[in-house]
Amino acid sequence: MNILEIENLVKTYPNGVSALKGISFKVKKGEFLVIIGLSGSGKSTLLRCINRLHDPTSGKILFDNQDITNASNAQLRHIRKNIGMIFQHFNLIPGKSVLDNVLSGTLGNMNIVNGLLGIYAKDVVEDAMQKIAIVGLTGKEHQRADKLSGGQQQRVAIARTLMQKPQILLADEPVASLDPATSHSVMQYLEKINKELGVTVICNLHFLSLVRQYASAVVALKGGELVYEGLPNEIDENWFKKIYGDDAVEVTID
Amino acid sequence: MKTIKALIIDLLIVLYNVTVIDRVIIPLCNQSNDISEYSANIFFIHFLIAAAVTAAMYFVPSASPGKRWEKLYSLNYGTPWYVLPYSYIGIITIILTLITGFVVSQVSFKEFFSQDGIEGAQRIFMALFTPNFNIFYKVITAAIETIYMALIATFFAIPVAFLLSFFAARNLMKSSAATALYVFIRTMLNVSRSIEPLVWAIIFSVWVGIGPFAGMLALMIHSVASLTKLYSEQIEDIDEGPVEAMKAVGASNILVVWYGIVPQLINPFLSYTIYRWDINVRMATIIGMVGGGGIGNMLMQYQGLAKWHEVGMVILVIAVVVWVMDFASAKLRSALSN
Repeated sequence: MNILEIENLVKTYPNGVSALKGISFKVKKGEFLVIIGLSGSGKSTLLRCINRLHDPTSGKILFDNQDITNASNAQLRHIRKNIGMIFQHFNLIPGKSVLDNVLSGTLGNMNIVNGLLGIYAKDVVEDAMQKIAIVGLTGKEHQRADKLSGGQQQRVAIARTLMQKPQILLADEPVASLDPATSHSVMQYLEKINKELGVTVICNLHFLSLVRQYASAVVALKGGELVYEGLPNEIDENWFKKIYGDDAVEVTID
Repeated sequence: MKTIKALIIDLLIVLYNVTVIDRVIIPLCNQSNDISEYSANIFFIHFLIAAAVTAAMYFVPSASPGKRWEKLYSLNYGTPWYVLPYSYIGIITIILTLITGFVVSQVSFKEFFSQDGIEGAQRIFMALFTPNFNIFYKVITAAIETIYMALIATFFAIPVAFLLSFFAARNLMKSSAATALYVFIRTMLNVSRSIEPLVWAIIFSVWVGIGPFAGMLALMIHSVASLTKLYSEQIEDIDEGPVEAMKAVGASNILVVWYGIVPQLINPFLSYTIYRWDINVRMATIIGMVGGGGIGNMLMQYQGLAKWHEVGMVILVIAVVVWVMDFASAKLRSALSN
Protein backbone atom coordinates (compact mmCIF):
# COMPACT_ATOMS: atom_id res chain seq x y z
CA MET A 1 0.00 0.00 0.00
CA ASN A 2 1.27 3.46 -0.84
CA ILE A 3 1.40 5.91 2.03
CA LEU A 4 2.58 8.77 -0.14
CA GLU A 5 2.11 9.56 -3.81
CA ILE A 6 3.74 12.48 -5.53
CA GLU A 7 2.32 13.43 -8.89
CA ASN A 8 4.02 15.82 -11.29
CA LEU A 9 5.21 18.09 -8.50
CA VAL A 10 6.53 21.48 -9.59
CA LYS A 11 8.06 24.11 -7.35
CA THR A 12 9.19 27.47 -8.69
CA TYR A 13 10.42 29.97 -6.12
CA PRO A 14 9.25 33.60 -6.30
CA ASN A 15 12.75 34.61 -7.46
CA GLY A 16 12.28 32.43 -10.55
CA VAL A 17 14.44 29.48 -9.50
CA SER A 18 12.71 26.29 -10.53
CA ALA A 19 13.62 23.74 -7.89
CA LEU A 20 11.35 20.88 -8.93
CA LYS A 21 10.34 20.30 -12.53
CA GLY A 22 7.53 17.75 -12.44
CA ILE A 23 8.43 14.93 -10.08
CA SER A 24 6.38 11.77 -9.63
CA PHE A 25 7.01 8.77 -7.39
CA LYS A 26 5.29 6.57 -4.84
CA VAL A 27 6.35 5.57 -1.36
CA LYS A 28 5.20 2.25 0.12
CA LYS A 29 4.24 1.96 3.74
CA GLY A 30 7.18 0.90 5.91
CA GLU A 31 9.75 1.82 3.28
CA PHE A 32 13.13 3.46 4.03
CA LEU A 33 13.32 5.70 1.00
CA VAL A 34 16.49 7.70 0.43
CA ILE A 35 16.62 10.70 -1.88
CA ILE A 36 20.05 11.38 -3.37
CA GLY A 37 21.41 14.05 -5.65
CA LEU A 38 23.85 16.92 -5.70
CA SER A 39 23.41 19.99 -3.52
CA GLY A 40 20.83 22.19 -5.20
CA SER A 41 19.15 19.29 -7.00
CA GLY A 42 15.89 19.94 -5.13
CA LYS A 43 16.05 17.31 -2.36
CA SER A 44 15.33 19.69 0.52
CA THR A 45 12.60 21.45 -1.44
CA LEU A 46 10.96 18.11 -2.17
CA LEU A 47 10.91 17.11 1.51
CA ARG A 48 9.55 20.51 2.51
CA CYS A 49 6.79 20.23 -0.07
CA ILE A 50 5.66 16.93 1.43
CA ASN A 51 4.73 18.54 4.77
CA ARG A 52 4.00 21.81 3.01
CA LEU A 53 6.64 23.89 4.79
CA HIS A 54 6.96 25.05 1.18
CA ASP A 55 3.87 25.30 -0.99
CA PRO A 56 4.23 23.49 -4.30
CA THR A 57 3.55 25.53 -7.45
CA SER A 58 1.59 22.72 -9.10
CA GLY A 59 1.16 18.96 -8.91
CA LYS A 60 -0.38 16.71 -6.34
CA ILE A 61 0.65 15.18 -3.02
CA LEU A 62 -1.45 12.27 -1.75
CA PHE A 63 -0.79 11.33 1.87
CA ASP A 64 -2.65 8.21 2.94
CA ASN A 65 -4.84 8.57 -0.20
CA GLN A 66 -5.83 12.07 0.82
CA ASP A 67 -4.93 15.04 -1.36
CA ILE A 68 -3.08 17.49 0.89
CA THR A 69 -1.95 19.86 -1.84
CA ASN A 70 -4.63 22.41 -1.09
CA ALA A 71 -5.28 21.64 2.57
CA SER A 72 -6.43 24.60 4.66
CA ASN A 73 -4.31 25.80 7.58
CA ALA A 74 -6.35 23.81 10.12
CA GLN A 75 -6.20 20.64 8.02
CA LEU A 76 -2.53 21.21 7.42
CA ARG A 77 -1.75 21.29 11.13
CA HIS A 78 -3.61 18.02 11.52
CA ILE A 79 -1.67 16.46 8.64
CA ARG A 80 1.68 17.72 9.94
CA LYS A 81 1.06 15.93 13.24
CA ASN A 82 1.32 12.68 11.28
CA ILE A 83 4.51 13.67 9.48
CA GLY A 84 7.60 13.96 11.63
CA MET A 85 10.67 15.86 10.49
CA ILE A 86 14.31 16.08 11.49
CA PHE A 87 16.85 18.53 10.11
CA GLN A 88 20.51 18.88 9.26
CA HIS A 89 21.01 21.47 12.00
CA PHE A 90 18.71 19.66 14.46
CA ASN A 91 16.58 22.82 14.99
CA LEU A 92 16.14 22.27 18.70
CA ILE A 93 14.75 25.05 20.87
CA PRO A 94 17.81 26.81 22.30
CA GLY A 95 18.25 27.05 26.06
CA LYS A 96 15.64 24.38 26.83
CA SER A 97 16.18 20.99 28.43
CA VAL A 98 16.14 17.70 26.56
CA LEU A 99 12.75 16.89 28.11
CA ASP A 100 11.23 20.25 27.14
CA ASN A 101 12.47 19.78 23.60
CA VAL A 102 11.01 16.29 23.35
CA LEU A 103 7.71 17.49 24.84
CA SER A 104 7.52 20.22 22.19
CA GLY A 105 6.78 17.41 19.73
CA THR A 106 3.24 17.27 21.14
CA LEU A 107 2.50 20.98 20.64
CA GLY A 108 0.30 20.10 17.68
CA ASN A 109 -2.19 18.57 20.11
CA MET A 110 -2.09 21.34 22.70
CA ASN A 111 -4.46 24.22 23.19
CA ILE A 112 -2.89 27.65 23.30
CA VAL A 113 -3.08 28.29 27.05
CA ASN A 114 -1.48 25.00 28.07
CA GLY A 115 0.99 25.38 25.24
CA LEU A 116 2.06 28.87 26.29
CA LEU A 117 2.39 27.82 29.94
CA GLY A 118 4.07 24.53 29.07
CA ILE A 119 1.58 22.42 31.06
CA TYR A 120 1.81 18.78 29.90
CA ALA A 121 -0.32 15.91 31.12
CA LYS A 122 1.40 13.29 33.27
CA ASP A 123 1.11 10.52 30.71
CA VAL A 124 2.58 12.80 28.04
CA VAL A 125 5.63 13.40 30.23
CA GLU A 126 5.96 9.65 30.83
CA ASP A 127 5.68 9.08 27.10
CA ALA A 128 8.45 11.64 26.55
CA MET A 129 10.72 9.83 29.05
CA GLN A 130 10.08 6.64 27.15
CA LYS A 131 11.00 8.26 23.81
CA ILE A 132 14.18 9.62 25.38
CA ALA A 133 14.97 6.05 26.43
CA ILE A 134 14.41 4.83 22.85
CA VAL A 135 17.14 7.17 21.56
CA GLY A 136 19.42 6.20 24.44
CA LEU A 137 19.53 9.52 26.27
CA THR A 138 18.11 8.42 29.63
CA GLY A 139 19.77 10.41 32.40
CA LYS A 140 20.15 13.51 30.25
CA GLU A 141 16.50 14.63 30.45
CA HIS A 142 17.22 17.77 32.43
CA GLN A 143 20.37 18.87 30.66
CA ARG A 144 20.31 21.74 28.20
CA ALA A 145 19.78 20.24 24.77
CA ASP A 146 21.93 22.78 22.94
CA LYS A 147 24.96 21.85 25.07
CA LEU A 148 24.91 18.20 23.91
CA SER A 149 27.08 16.82 21.11
CA GLY A 150 25.79 16.94 17.54
CA GLY A 151 24.80 13.28 17.45
CA GLN A 152 22.99 13.54 20.78
CA GLN A 153 21.13 16.66 19.59
CA GLN A 154 19.96 14.79 16.51
CA ARG A 155 18.72 11.96 18.76
CA VAL A 156 16.78 14.52 20.83
CA ALA A 157 15.24 15.71 17.55
CA ILE A 158 14.31 12.09 16.72
CA ALA A 159 12.69 11.65 20.14
CA ARG A 160 10.80 14.91 19.61
CA THR A 161 9.39 13.72 16.33
CA LEU A 162 8.48 10.33 17.84
CA MET A 163 6.17 12.20 20.24
CA GLN A 164 4.01 12.92 17.19
CA LYS A 165 3.59 9.17 16.59
CA PRO A 166 4.25 9.95 12.94
CA GLN A 167 3.34 7.72 10.01
CA ILE A 168 6.11 9.24 7.95
CA LEU A 169 9.43 10.62 9.14
CA LEU A 170 11.12 13.16 6.87
CA ALA A 171 14.86 13.46 7.45
CA ASP A 172 16.60 16.36 5.71
CA GLU A 173 20.33 15.57 5.57
CA PRO A 174 20.20 14.18 9.13
CA VAL A 175 23.90 13.32 9.27
CA ALA A 176 25.42 16.04 7.06
CA SER A 177 26.80 17.99 10.03
CA LEU A 178 27.97 14.94 11.99
CA ASP A 179 31.23 12.99 11.97
CA PRO A 180 31.27 9.49 10.40
CA ALA A 181 30.97 7.46 13.61
CA THR A 182 28.08 9.56 14.88
CA SER A 183 26.46 9.41 11.45
CA HIS A 184 26.12 5.65 11.71
CA SER A 185 24.69 5.87 15.19
CA VAL A 186 22.00 8.33 14.05
CA MET A 187 21.25 6.23 10.96
CA GLN A 188 20.88 3.15 13.15
CA TYR A 189 18.29 4.93 15.29
CA LEU A 190 16.40 5.85 12.12
CA GLU A 191 16.61 2.21 11.02
CA LYS A 192 15.34 1.05 14.40
CA ILE A 193 12.37 3.42 14.17
CA ASN A 194 11.68 2.23 10.65
CA LYS A 195 11.91 -1.50 11.45
CA GLU A 196 10.57 -1.67 15.02
CA LEU A 197 7.96 1.08 15.03
CA GLY A 198 7.02 0.69 11.37
CA VAL A 199 7.46 4.37 10.56
CA THR A 200 8.01 5.12 6.87
CA VAL A 201 11.26 7.08 6.53
CA ILE A 202 12.07 9.49 3.69
CA CYS A 203 15.62 10.67 4.03
CA ASN A 204 17.97 12.96 2.06
CA LEU A 205 21.53 11.67 2.04
CA HIS A 206 24.85 12.52 0.43
CA PHE A 207 26.86 9.35 0.99
CA LEU A 208 26.12 6.37 -1.24
CA SER A 209 27.73 4.00 1.27
CA LEU A 210 25.07 5.01 3.80
CA VAL A 211 22.41 4.64 1.11
CA ARG A 212 23.44 1.06 0.31
CA GLN A 213 23.50 0.16 3.98
CA TYR A 214 20.21 1.65 5.17
CA ALA A 215 17.88 2.33 2.23
CA SER A 216 15.20 -0.02 0.99
CA ALA A 217 14.46 2.19 -2.03
CA VAL A 218 16.19 5.12 -3.70
CA VAL A 219 15.16 8.03 -5.87
CA ALA A 220 17.71 10.37 -7.37
CA LEU A 221 17.17 13.99 -8.35
CA LYS A 222 19.23 16.00 -10.79
CA GLY A 223 18.47 19.64 -11.55
CA GLY A 224 14.93 19.28 -10.18
CA GLU A 225 14.12 16.15 -12.20
CA LEU A 226 13.81 12.55 -11.13
CA VAL A 227 16.58 10.59 -12.85
CA TYR A 228 16.54 7.29 -10.95
CA GLU A 229 14.06 5.22 -9.04
CA GLY A 230 14.92 1.75 -7.81
CA LEU A 231 16.89 -0.33 -5.37
CA PRO A 232 20.05 0.92 -3.67
CA ASN A 233 22.35 -1.86 -4.88
CA GLU A 234 21.36 -1.28 -8.50
CA ILE A 235 23.20 2.07 -8.55
CA ASP A 236 26.33 1.10 -10.46
CA GLU A 237 29.14 3.18 -11.92
CA ASN A 238 27.01 4.28 -14.89
CA TRP A 239 24.10 5.40 -12.80
CA PHE A 240 26.46 7.14 -10.41
CA LYS A 241 27.89 9.21 -13.26
CA LYS A 242 24.39 9.98 -14.54
CA ILE A 243 23.27 11.24 -11.13
CA TYR A 244 26.36 13.06 -9.98
CA GLY A 245 27.99 14.02 -13.30
CA ASP A 246 31.02 12.62 -15.12
CA ASP A 247 33.59 14.29 -12.92
CA ALA A 248 32.21 12.93 -9.68
CA VAL A 249 34.16 10.44 -7.60
CA GLU A 250 32.45 8.37 -4.96
CA VAL A 251 33.64 8.90 -1.42
CA THR A 252 32.72 6.50 1.34
CA ILE A 253 31.93 6.94 4.97
CA ASP A 254 32.85 4.13 7.33
CA MET B 1 19.60 63.02 -15.60
CA LYS B 2 23.00 62.37 -14.06
CA THR B 3 24.30 65.64 -15.46
CA ILE B 4 21.43 67.54 -13.85
CA LYS B 5 22.11 65.85 -10.52
CA ALA B 6 25.80 66.67 -10.85
CA LEU B 7 24.98 70.32 -11.57
CA ILE B 8 22.69 70.54 -8.54
CA ILE B 9 25.40 69.07 -6.31
CA ASP B 10 27.94 71.56 -7.70
CA LEU B 11 25.54 74.45 -7.23
CA LEU B 12 24.89 73.52 -3.57
CA ILE B 13 28.61 73.22 -2.83
CA VAL B 14 29.46 76.52 -4.50
CA LEU B 15 26.49 78.28 -2.93
CA TYR B 16 27.63 77.08 0.50
CA ASN B 17 31.14 78.36 -0.11
CA VAL B 18 29.97 81.72 -1.48
CA THR B 19 27.69 82.20 1.54
CA VAL B 20 30.44 81.30 4.01
CA ILE B 21 32.96 83.60 2.33
CA ASP B 22 30.57 86.55 2.25
CA ARG B 23 29.06 86.13 5.72
CA VAL B 24 32.04 84.89 7.73
CA ILE B 25 35.39 85.21 5.99
CA ILE B 26 35.05 88.77 4.69
CA PRO B 27 33.77 90.20 8.04
CA LEU B 28 36.61 88.32 9.75
CA CYS B 29 39.20 89.98 7.48
CA ASN B 30 37.64 93.40 8.15
CA GLN B 31 37.75 92.75 11.92
CA SER B 32 34.11 93.71 12.13
CA ASN B 33 31.77 91.90 14.48
CA ASP B 34 28.52 93.45 13.39
CA ILE B 35 27.29 90.96 10.84
CA SER B 36 24.31 92.46 9.07
CA GLU B 37 21.15 90.40 8.97
CA TYR B 38 20.63 87.76 6.36
CA SER B 39 17.85 88.42 3.88
CA ALA B 40 16.22 87.17 0.72
CA ASN B 41 18.09 89.80 -1.32
CA ILE B 42 21.46 88.66 -0.06
CA PHE B 43 20.52 85.06 -0.76
CA PHE B 44 19.55 86.04 -4.31
CA ILE B 45 22.93 87.66 -4.92
CA HIS B 46 24.73 84.63 -3.47
CA PHE B 47 22.68 82.39 -5.69
CA LEU B 48 23.54 84.36 -8.83
CA ILE B 49 27.26 84.27 -8.06
CA ALA B 50 27.09 80.53 -7.29
CA ALA B 51 25.18 79.83 -10.50
CA ALA B 52 27.78 81.74 -12.53
CA VAL B 53 30.67 79.88 -10.88
CA THR B 54 28.94 76.52 -11.36
CA ALA B 55 28.36 77.29 -15.03
CA ALA B 56 32.03 78.20 -15.43
CA MET B 57 33.11 75.02 -13.64
CA TYR B 58 31.07 72.97 -16.05
CA PHE B 59 33.50 73.78 -18.86
CA VAL B 60 36.72 73.22 -16.93
CA PRO B 61 37.85 69.60 -17.21
CA SER B 62 37.66 67.60 -13.93
CA ALA B 63 36.48 70.62 -11.97
CA SER B 64 33.07 69.36 -10.93
CA PRO B 65 32.71 67.40 -7.66
CA GLY B 66 29.12 66.64 -8.71
CA LYS B 67 30.27 64.83 -11.84
CA ARG B 68 32.78 62.90 -9.77
CA TRP B 69 29.99 61.94 -7.33
CA GLU B 70 27.75 60.79 -10.17
CA LYS B 71 30.71 58.86 -11.66
CA LEU B 72 30.57 60.82 -14.93
CA TYR B 73 34.35 61.09 -15.13
CA SER B 74 36.25 58.10 -16.37
CA LEU B 75 39.01 57.91 -13.81
CA ASN B 76 42.48 56.64 -14.43
CA TYR B 77 43.48 54.97 -11.21
CA GLY B 78 46.92 56.18 -10.33
CA THR B 79 46.18 59.78 -11.26
CA PRO B 80 47.39 61.70 -8.21
CA TRP B 81 44.57 63.53 -6.43
CA TYR B 82 46.40 66.87 -6.43
CA VAL B 83 46.22 67.29 -10.20
CA LEU B 84 42.43 67.02 -10.19
CA PRO B 85 40.70 70.40 -9.73
CA TYR B 86 37.70 68.99 -7.86
CA SER B 87 40.02 67.89 -5.02
CA TYR B 88 40.83 71.58 -4.41
CA ILE B 89 37.15 72.48 -4.27
CA GLY B 90 36.74 69.80 -1.59
CA ILE B 91 39.73 71.04 0.41
CA ILE B 92 38.60 74.67 0.21
CA THR B 93 35.14 73.65 1.43
CA ILE B 94 36.59 71.80 4.42
CA ILE B 95 38.93 74.68 5.38
CA LEU B 96 36.15 77.25 5.11
CA THR B 97 33.89 75.05 7.24
CA LEU B 98 36.50 74.72 9.98
CA ILE B 99 37.09 78.50 10.04
CA THR B 100 33.33 79.08 10.27
CA GLY B 101 33.15 76.57 13.11
CA PHE B 102 35.78 78.49 15.09
CA VAL B 103 34.03 81.80 14.48
CA VAL B 104 30.56 80.50 15.34
CA SER B 105 31.58 78.75 18.58
CA GLN B 106 33.54 81.85 19.56
CA VAL B 107 36.73 79.98 20.33
CA SER B 108 38.91 82.36 22.31
CA PHE B 109 42.24 81.33 23.78
CA LYS B 110 42.53 84.72 25.40
CA GLU B 111 39.53 84.09 27.62
CA PHE B 112 40.41 80.47 28.31
CA PHE B 113 43.72 81.52 29.86
CA SER B 114 42.64 84.81 31.43
CA GLN B 115 43.63 85.41 35.07
CA ASP B 116 40.06 86.09 36.25
CA GLY B 117 38.64 83.06 34.55
CA ILE B 118 41.21 80.66 35.94
CA GLU B 119 40.70 81.98 39.48
CA GLY B 120 36.94 81.49 39.18
CA ALA B 121 37.40 77.97 37.92
CA GLN B 122 39.80 77.22 40.78
CA ARG B 123 37.23 78.40 43.32
CA ILE B 124 34.57 76.10 41.88
CA PHE B 125 36.90 73.12 41.55
CA MET B 126 38.04 73.53 45.16
CA ALA B 127 34.43 73.56 46.29
CA LEU B 128 33.60 70.53 44.17
CA PHE B 129 36.46 68.58 45.71
CA THR B 130 35.31 69.47 49.23
CA PRO B 131 31.71 68.26 49.02
CA ASN B 132 29.28 69.01 51.79
CA PHE B 133 28.61 65.66 53.47
CA ASN B 134 25.87 67.14 55.68
CA ILE B 135 23.41 66.76 52.83
CA PHE B 136 24.56 63.20 52.07
CA TYR B 137 21.24 61.50 52.94
CA LYS B 138 19.23 64.09 51.08
CA VAL B 139 21.32 63.53 47.94
CA ILE B 140 21.15 59.75 48.28
CA THR B 141 17.36 59.95 48.55
CA ALA B 142 17.23 61.97 45.33
CA ALA B 143 19.59 59.52 43.62
CA ILE B 144 17.37 56.61 44.64
CA GLU B 145 14.40 58.51 43.24
CA THR B 146 16.27 58.81 39.93
CA ILE B 147 17.25 55.12 39.85
CA TYR B 148 13.66 54.05 40.53
CA MET B 149 12.34 56.51 37.97
CA ALA B 150 14.64 54.93 35.38
CA LEU B 151 13.65 51.45 36.53
CA ILE B 152 9.91 52.10 36.19
CA ALA B 153 10.38 53.80 32.82
CA THR B 154 12.28 50.74 31.60
CA PHE B 155 9.77 48.35 33.19
CA PHE B 156 6.75 49.92 31.51
CA ALA B 157 8.60 50.14 28.21
CA ILE B 158 9.36 46.40 28.13
CA PRO B 159 5.89 44.94 27.36
CA VAL B 160 5.06 47.69 24.86
CA ALA B 161 8.37 47.29 23.07
CA PHE B 162 8.09 43.51 23.20
CA LEU B 163 4.72 43.52 21.42
CA LEU B 164 5.67 46.24 18.92
CA SER B 165 8.97 44.57 18.04
CA PHE B 166 7.24 41.61 16.39
CA PHE B 167 5.34 44.00 14.11
CA ALA B 168 8.53 45.95 13.42
CA ALA B 169 10.49 42.86 12.30
CA ARG B 170 10.84 42.62 8.53
CA ASN B 171 11.04 38.82 8.45
CA LEU B 172 7.68 38.37 10.18
CA MET B 173 5.79 41.05 8.23
CA LYS B 174 5.71 39.74 4.71
CA SER B 175 2.16 40.13 3.36
CA SER B 176 1.18 43.51 1.92
CA ALA B 177 -1.17 44.42 4.80
CA ALA B 178 1.57 43.48 7.25
CA THR B 179 4.08 45.57 5.33
CA ALA B 180 1.86 48.65 5.68
CA LEU B 181 1.68 48.11 9.45
CA TYR B 182 5.45 47.53 9.55
CA VAL B 183 6.14 50.80 7.73
CA PHE B 184 3.71 52.70 9.98
CA ILE B 185 5.24 51.38 13.20
CA ARG B 186 8.80 51.91 11.99
CA THR B 187 7.98 55.51 11.01
CA MET B 188 6.35 56.25 14.38
CA LEU B 189 9.36 54.79 16.17
CA ASN B 190 11.82 56.81 14.12
CA VAL B 191 9.89 59.99 14.80
CA SER B 192 9.67 59.41 18.54
CA ARG B 193 13.31 58.37 18.69
CA SER B 194 14.49 61.46 16.86
CA ILE B 195 12.83 63.67 19.49
CA GLU B 196 15.32 63.89 22.34
CA PRO B 197 14.16 62.68 25.77
CA LEU B 198 14.99 66.16 27.01
CA VAL B 199 12.32 67.57 24.71
CA TRP B 200 9.84 64.90 25.80
CA ALA B 201 10.56 65.86 29.40
CA ILE B 202 9.73 69.48 28.67
CA ILE B 203 6.47 68.44 26.97
CA PHE B 204 5.47 66.15 29.84
CA SER B 205 6.46 68.60 32.57
CA VAL B 206 3.87 70.94 31.07
CA TRP B 207 1.38 68.09 30.66
CA VAL B 208 1.57 66.36 34.08
CA GLY B 209 3.52 68.97 36.02
CA ILE B 210 7.16 69.15 37.03
CA GLY B 211 8.40 66.09 38.88
CA PRO B 212 9.56 62.49 38.59
CA PHE B 213 6.39 61.42 36.75
CA ALA B 214 7.15 63.74 33.81
CA GLY B 215 10.70 62.46 33.67
CA MET B 216 9.51 58.87 33.86
CA LEU B 217 7.11 59.39 30.93
CA ALA B 218 9.82 61.03 28.83
CA LEU B 219 12.20 58.16 29.47
CA MET B 220 9.50 55.61 28.78
CA ILE B 221 8.64 57.04 25.35
CA HIS B 222 12.26 57.05 24.38
CA SER B 223 12.89 53.58 25.81
CA VAL B 224 9.93 52.09 23.93
CA ALA B 225 11.28 53.45 20.67
CA SER B 226 14.85 52.32 21.13
CA LEU B 227 14.02 48.96 22.75
CA THR B 228 11.58 48.15 19.95
CA LYS B 229 14.29 48.85 17.41
CA LEU B 230 16.85 46.68 19.21
CA TYR B 231 14.34 43.89 19.88
CA SER B 232 13.08 43.82 16.30
CA GLU B 233 16.62 43.69 14.92
CA GLN B 234 17.19 40.68 17.15
CA ILE B 235 14.02 39.07 15.77
CA GLU B 236 15.24 39.70 12.23
CA ASP B 237 18.44 37.87 13.15
CA ILE B 238 16.93 34.65 14.50
CA ASP B 239 17.66 31.15 13.29
CA GLU B 240 14.67 30.01 11.20
CA GLY B 241 15.39 26.35 12.07
CA PRO B 242 13.37 26.04 15.30
CA VAL B 243 10.51 27.91 13.61
CA GLU B 244 10.48 25.31 10.85
CA ALA B 245 10.64 22.51 13.41
CA MET B 246 7.66 23.89 15.34
CA LYS B 247 5.65 24.30 12.14
CA ALA B 248 6.50 20.72 11.25
CA VAL B 249 5.06 19.35 14.50
CA GLY B 250 1.77 21.04 13.61
CA ALA B 251 1.82 23.72 16.32
CA SER B 252 -0.52 26.70 15.93
CA ASN B 253 1.00 30.03 14.87
CA ILE B 254 1.10 31.48 18.38
CA LEU B 255 2.89 28.41 19.70
CA VAL B 256 5.29 28.48 16.74
CA VAL B 257 6.28 32.01 17.78
CA TRP B 258 6.38 31.11 21.48
CA TYR B 259 8.60 28.05 21.08
CA GLY B 260 10.37 28.73 17.79
CA ILE B 261 11.22 32.41 18.23
CA VAL B 262 10.84 33.59 21.85
CA PRO B 263 13.46 31.26 23.45
CA GLN B 264 16.04 32.63 21.02
CA LEU B 265 15.23 36.15 22.13
CA ILE B 266 15.14 35.98 25.93
CA ASN B 267 18.84 36.45 26.62
CA PRO B 268 19.50 39.19 24.06
CA PHE B 269 16.30 40.97 25.14
CA LEU B 270 17.30 40.86 28.82
CA SER B 271 20.74 42.09 27.91
CA TYR B 272 19.37 45.05 25.94
CA THR B 273 16.88 45.84 28.69
CA ILE B 274 19.54 45.98 31.40
CA TYR B 275 21.67 48.17 29.16
CA ARG B 276 18.64 50.42 28.62
CA TRP B 277 18.10 50.76 32.36
CA ASP B 278 21.72 51.74 32.71
CA ILE B 279 21.30 54.41 29.99
CA ASN B 280 18.00 55.54 31.54
CA VAL B 281 19.67 56.25 34.90
CA ARG B 282 22.11 58.60 33.15
CA MET B 283 19.35 60.19 31.11
CA ALA B 284 17.13 60.56 34.16
CA THR B 285 19.84 62.69 35.71
CA ILE B 286 19.90 65.04 32.73
CA ILE B 287 16.13 65.06 32.48
CA GLY B 288 15.91 66.02 36.14
CA MET B 289 17.59 69.29 35.22
CA VAL B 290 14.63 70.39 33.12
CA GLY B 291 12.07 69.50 35.76
CA GLY B 292 12.08 65.73 35.75
CA GLY B 293 12.73 65.47 39.48
CA GLY B 294 15.36 63.35 41.22
CA ILE B 295 19.04 64.09 41.54
CA GLY B 296 19.23 66.14 38.33
CA ASN B 297 16.68 68.55 39.72
CA MET B 298 18.69 68.87 42.92
CA LEU B 299 21.85 69.58 40.93
CA MET B 300 20.10 72.43 39.10
CA GLN B 301 18.78 73.94 42.31
CA TYR B 302 22.16 74.01 44.07
CA GLN B 303 23.84 75.27 40.94
CA GLY B 304 21.29 78.10 40.67
CA LEU B 305 22.04 79.09 44.26
CA ALA B 306 25.81 78.84 43.58
CA LYS B 307 26.17 76.40 46.49
CA TRP B 308 29.26 74.72 45.08
CA HIS B 309 30.02 72.43 48.04
CA GLU B 310 26.53 70.96 47.70
CA VAL B 311 26.92 70.72 43.92
CA GLY B 312 30.14 68.82 44.59
CA MET B 313 28.26 66.35 46.77
CA VAL B 314 25.60 65.80 44.09
CA ILE B 315 28.19 65.30 41.36
CA LEU B 316 30.08 62.82 43.54
CA VAL B 317 26.92 60.75 44.09
CA ILE B 318 26.03 60.87 40.37
CA ALA B 319 29.50 59.66 39.46
CA VAL B 320 29.31 56.76 41.90
CA VAL B 321 25.81 55.76 40.78
CA VAL B 322 26.75 55.87 37.10
CA TRP B 323 29.90 53.88 37.75
CA VAL B 324 28.08 51.21 39.78
CA MET B 325 25.28 50.89 37.20
CA ASP B 326 27.78 50.66 34.38
CA PHE B 327 29.78 47.99 36.18
CA ALA B 328 26.75 45.95 37.25
CA SER B 329 25.11 46.08 33.84
CA ALA B 330 28.32 45.01 32.11
CA LYS B 331 28.67 42.05 34.50
CA LEU B 332 25.03 41.01 34.09
CA ARG B 333 25.20 41.27 30.32
CA SER B 334 28.34 39.21 30.01
CA ALA B 335 26.74 36.54 32.23
CA LEU B 336 23.71 36.50 29.91
CA SER B 337 25.69 36.12 26.72
CA ASN B 338 26.78 32.58 27.70
